[in-house]
Amino acid sequence: MERRDFLKLSAAAALAAPLARPAIAQTPATVRWWYHFDNPQNTPAALVAKFEAENPGIKIQAEAIPWGGGNDYQTRLFAALVAGNGPDAAMVRLSWAARLAAMKALEPIDSMIGGWAGRSDIPDNIWKINKGADGKQYYLPLQYVVIYLYYRPDLFQQAGIQPPKTFDEFLAAAKALTKGDMAGFGMRGGAGGFDNWGPFVIGGGASFEKGGMVSEKALAANRWYVGLARDAKVTPASAPTDSFRQIVDAFKAGRTAMIMHHVGSANEIVGALGDKVSAVPVPRAADGRGWTYFGDESNAVFAASKAKEAAFKWIAFLSTADNNIELNKLTGQLPITTSGAAKWTGHPKRFVDASQASLPIAGSLPDHPKTPDFIARIWPTNMQRALNGEISPDDMMKAIEQHFNG
Amino acid sequence: MITSAHNSFSRWTPAWFLAPALAITAAIVLVPAVQTIWLSLHDYLLYEPDAATFIGLRNFAAILQDEVFWISLGHSAIWIVGVVGLQFLLGLGTALLLNQSFWWRGFARALVVVPWALPSVIIGLMWTWMYDFNVGVLNDMLVRTGIIDAPIAWLARPDLALPSIMAALIWQGFPFFAITILAGLQTIPSELYEAAEIDGANRGQMLRHITLPSIADVIATALLLRTIWVANSLDVILVMTGGGPGYATHTLPLYSFVRAYNSMEFGYGAALALILTLLLLTVVWLYVRRASRDLDR
Repeated sequence: MERRDFLKLSAAAALAAPLARPAIAQTPATVRWWYHFDNPQNTPAALVAKFEAENPGIKIQAEAIPWGGGNDYQTRLFAALVAGNGPDAAMVRLSWAARLAAMKALEPIDSMIGGWAGRSDIPDNIWKINKGADGKQYYLPLQYVVIYLYYRPDLFQQAGIQPPKTFDEFLAAAKALTKGDMAGFGMRGGAGGFDNWGPFVIGGGASFEKGGMVSEKALAANRWYVGLARDAKVTPASAPTDSFRQIVDAFKAGRTAMIMHHVGSANEIVGALGDKVSAVPVPRAADGRGWTYFGDESNAVFAASKAKEAAFKWIAFLSTADNNIELNKLTGQLPITTSGAAKWTGHPKRFVDASQASLPIAGSLPDHPKTPDFIARIWPTNMQRALNGEISPDDMMKAIEQHFNG
Repeated sequence: MITSAHNSFSRWTPAWFLAPALAITAAIVLVPAVQTIWLSLHDYLLYEPDAATFIGLRNFAAILQDEVFWISLGHSAIWIVGVVGLQFLLGLGTALLLNQSFWWRGFARALVVVPWALPSVIIGLMWTWMYDFNVGVLNDMLVRTGIIDAPIAWLARPDLALPSIMAALIWQGFPFFAITILAGLQTIPSELYEAAEIDGANRGQMLRHITLPSIADVIATALLLRTIWVANSLDVILVMTGGGPGYATHTLPLYSFVRAYNSMEFGYGAALALILTLLLLTVVWLYVRRASRDLDR
């Protein structure tokens, strides 16, 4: 055979190969699902195996996507969706809902939820929080966390003080506990730190409505918060860039007396501090007003998916009582189902109680296309500049107002 | 007839052999480059792909008014000159040392490559923890030895954050210079040094008049290549500070990345990237001119 003939033949064979497949593919529906667990060593393999055994026609391809304070995960998800290579379903946050809606990327799941037995095991207010702006349901709730205050009961007892209920008590406690190497409050000024800022500034009177960041109350609340680092000096010098890992490790190492995070870090912290750590809801303003961040997590099915029903079956499976408990053991968050919450033993009770006691003041960030940019860029850069004295606290609030309301 | 067909075939042969490489280069370099230029002329938000509007050069006009662009450009200049310059000096010193004969030279040469072989993300994480305020080894050592009284927040202070990251990158990149220059040093005939020694030249004179002129071409090429890489690199900064505190570690590629990926403003991000490309083209032009001159020799 001449070399050229051989090349022609190979090319023809390569082109013909797809035609040789059977007319109707016998392969099962494959659902690509994107997820993130804080502990990358945890894997959903057991849940996938259970689901596939119950649903022989469906294969789950679970892909772990790095979280990166939310930024990495979100960027990859949006880029994949625009490129037409998105997953069939993925874990999603409420703060991305407006952007996903603008892209028409989500599939409404109202009709599928209608026929799902697990629906009534998720509380009505959770369904309400997760409803789309157009009234349709796109998100299937999966788990939640609420930001609360971790504190060191042993140090509080030594200092003869109680866990703070108000901003003033918080400042007094932070001052009393700041000594030598120990800072009273492990402030998170780096990635994701808006959830430390919100309880004091939104709780103190700021809002995302027009003019809500530059009202007298809002400006005063932010001055107070920045003042924790600049005037009262109750935070570590590294606060401007400290993120999740830094605040948790410093707290575990006994370098800070209070930090604000959610139940997701409870087991890790208890592993280091044992009984010397407990939690209470975040403090409130003098007028009784309060706010804390409701860290939602849902699953959504994407409009471009070719296996929508199979994808829904999978996400519904994950939000069903016992499966939801198993999933939350992997994510370290709290089950979304009423029956799951009653049986939950994944965290010491005091942290679950603090989470539940925080629910009345828990809220999410605005359902606005600019919210993710606020979290990832506007908040950290302006907060850090204010903490380092490069801009005034008021300028920081003006930048946030400008971002949302022009 | 046959001859002319044969001739025309021969004339085209090089083109056919080059075609696959050219096609791949076009697909992975030229097409994205043209796409970036096209994007830079649009107001394009990733989450509103259907609402993209052509706005001509308005992104570029906005960039010139953008305070953060100028801050980032200034940091980029410090970044490139500082990192490449110090990597070069450290690399040159290391290469001169490794060119001496001592019994564990082979081991030392292998050891010096380690930072270069590590992925940037690992380097970023490693140095972040070394610099950590509360549990970092650097503060611990400095406090224990009495050099400082209290820990320093290396990555949280606007005056220290950029130099701290630069130190990490200098550590990562100096082996490139060390290895390249070492290879150059080994091409210098030993007779030159022997002759200089007979003429009574001291070590400094030998370095200035024999070593450096002999490896000048190697140094120039390494400097140009490294400038391009360092100017583009943002991974270590992204891991260590994400550009913070505030804008203290924003460089031009990082700012472009942040605007494109965090804000999803792909038009604005593309315009920023294009400006960086245009600035770097000067260096690329110098490099290509140099490379082609070497080929012509």
